[in-house]
Amino acid sequence: MEDTIIKVTDLVAQYGDFKVLDGVSFTVKRGEIFMIVGGSGCGKSTLLKHLSGLMRPVSGEILFEGNNIAAMDEDELAEMQHGIGIAFQSSGLFNSMTISENVAMPMREFGGISKTLIDDLVRFKLSLVGLASSQYLMPGELSGGMRKRAGIARAIALDPTLIYFDEPSAGLDPIMAAGLDDMILKLRDMLKTTFVIVTHELDSIRLVADRILMLDKGKVLFCGTLDEAMASPIERLRQFFDRRPDEYITQSNME
Amino acid sequence: MSETRLNTPEQLNSETGEHLYNEVHRGWRKGVTALVLDLEQTRDIDSPGGAWLLKIAGYVRSKGGKFNWEGQREEIRDFMDMFAPALRMKPVLPPKGPGLLDRVTNGCIDFWGESCEFATLCLDTIYWIGIAPFEGKGLRLNAIMDEAYEMGVRAIRIVFLMNFLLGLIIAMLSAKQVEAFGMQIYVADLIMIGFARELAAVMTAVVVSARTGAAIAAELATMKVQEEIDALRGMGINIVQYLVSPKVLALVIVLPCLSTIGLVSGIAGGAVWGVIVLGFRPAIWYQQTLGAAFMGDLIQGFLKTLFFALAIALIGCHNGLRVSGGSRGVGLVTTRAVVMDIFTMICIDILFAIFFYYLFG
Repeated sequence: MEDTIIKVTDLVAQYGDFKVLDGVSFTVKRGEIFMIVGGSGCGKSTLLKHLSGLMRPVSGEILFEGNNIAAMDEDELAEMQHGIGIAFQSSGLFNSMTISENVAMPMREFGGISKTLIDDLVRFKLSLVGLASSQYLMPGELSGGMRKRAGIARAIALDPTLIYFDEPSAGLDPIMAAGLDDMILKLRDMLKTTFVIVTHELDSIRLVADRILMLDKGKVLFCGTLDEAMASPIERLRQFFDRRPDEYITQSNME
Repeated sequence: MSETRLNTPEQLNSETGEHLYNEVHRGWRKGVTALVLDLEQTRDIDSPGGAWLLKIAGYVRSKGGKFNWEGQREEIRDFMDMFAPALRMKPVLPPKGPGLLDRVTNGCIDFWGESCEFATLCLDTIYWIGIAPFEGKGLRLNAIMDEAYEMGVRAIRIVFLMNFLLGLIIAMLSAKQVEAFGMQIYVADLIMIGFARELAAVMTAVVVSARTGAAIAAELATMKVQEEIDALRGMGINIVQYLVSPKVLALVIVLPCLSTIGLVSGIAGGAVWGVIVLGFRPAIWYQQTLGAAFMGDLIQGFLKTLFFALAIALIGCHNGLRVSGGSRGVGLVTTRAVVMDIFTMICIDILFAIFFYYLFG
């Protein structure tokens, strides 16, 4: 099996005349936890939407298991999307369904799974994220952390080879965030799934990331392991890890 | 009293899991009190394999036995650690819905609570529109103008078109009925009286309810779901003053105007049929229409529109502010607002009909 699961080459995305991503290139290896980091508005979420086929690039190539997402028609894209899981920042759960119905939905729609096994499979997925006892609750009855975990359970419903996760720790307390990070590591090992995670939580990056990609103003500033990032002389990267504010912010505060 | 032991396969997947389940199912005998799975050979468990383990655990439990496992290898230790609570716990049963008596009681309590909320909203609105401006707490004139533009000016075309077509249809159908008696000129009277008393007000209110009533409910519901209402409250802003009263006042101003446009366009629709198809001279149709115009009918239609406006705006706001349950809730309260609007309009219409019938005959 090929080692690379995603290969992005010269990806350009723009809103109107504004280039959000400008010539972005990188690869994601199978089975790794790949984190996309960077400041607010640098194009992280836009990149994730392109990787998952929710947006089409202006130019460039996105290869998922060797197939170019940018050139796929709607049917091919939908087929590709059945093979990936997406966990959204606000969980994206269907509020009119219970947690178990949320997880069962992709299984019933696309899974080709025997009806007799679906209920047990749902309980299995929920147990992996620690929500086995909450299966009949509605999303509105869950805390923020539980909603994120329910979102993951739905994302892993069809045993995807790749999971995209947008801001997993956003809005969670440190204990909950650490629990989520730990769960991502275990799920990766158990399900042999590749995770591509957008975040700017330094603690998560240090604990979970195999490799990181740093974006700045729509361009790739750095791509490599955490150790390489920590040793890198790139000023913007150092600033990010040292949590130093931009100069102009400091100056304007002083004025 | 005995314990059954079974070895699990090297790969526990959909196929081997089902095989294992069938083995447990076939081999279960009376007197067996526990099943222990020996996981020593198992190096890998996939999702369907895990689901079959849950099924086996559920089956053993349903037979009154105990389910356990032992000998797990290092490769699947994390997996089993995460999975163990689900294997050990009893399946959670779906919550039972309330019984008939509970439902009736809850329904009555909900109805009473909602009625009180609606009454409070009405009183608050009366205060913020009728009393507060005289206490120096000004109305938001800019907001009222914006709302009036959105609810009124932008609805003129659809109100005109709907009433015009309705006038045309009524003229067409009624003219056919009275043709044999040579009384087609009285269609002009029918249109005038019908639109002045009833149709212009009701038809316009139905259009405005579907357009504006739904929009009010959806807007406030979305604001509540996205915590914008809480943000306003957190700034010490009164919601009724800031959001509800401009909408109510704007609709009370624009609905009579729209209804007047509806009246004119309905009569125009009838006139088009009378003049072009039935062949009456415009002056004769005009005179006949004017002769059927009574101030009492016009006042009745006008008064109705005021009550319709209050009902549409207040019901929209009431439903929007009661939303719960996210996006699904927004859809539900929007539908509910329109249904309540139309039902309330019919009730108001009946009351008006009864009142004017006994007053003027």
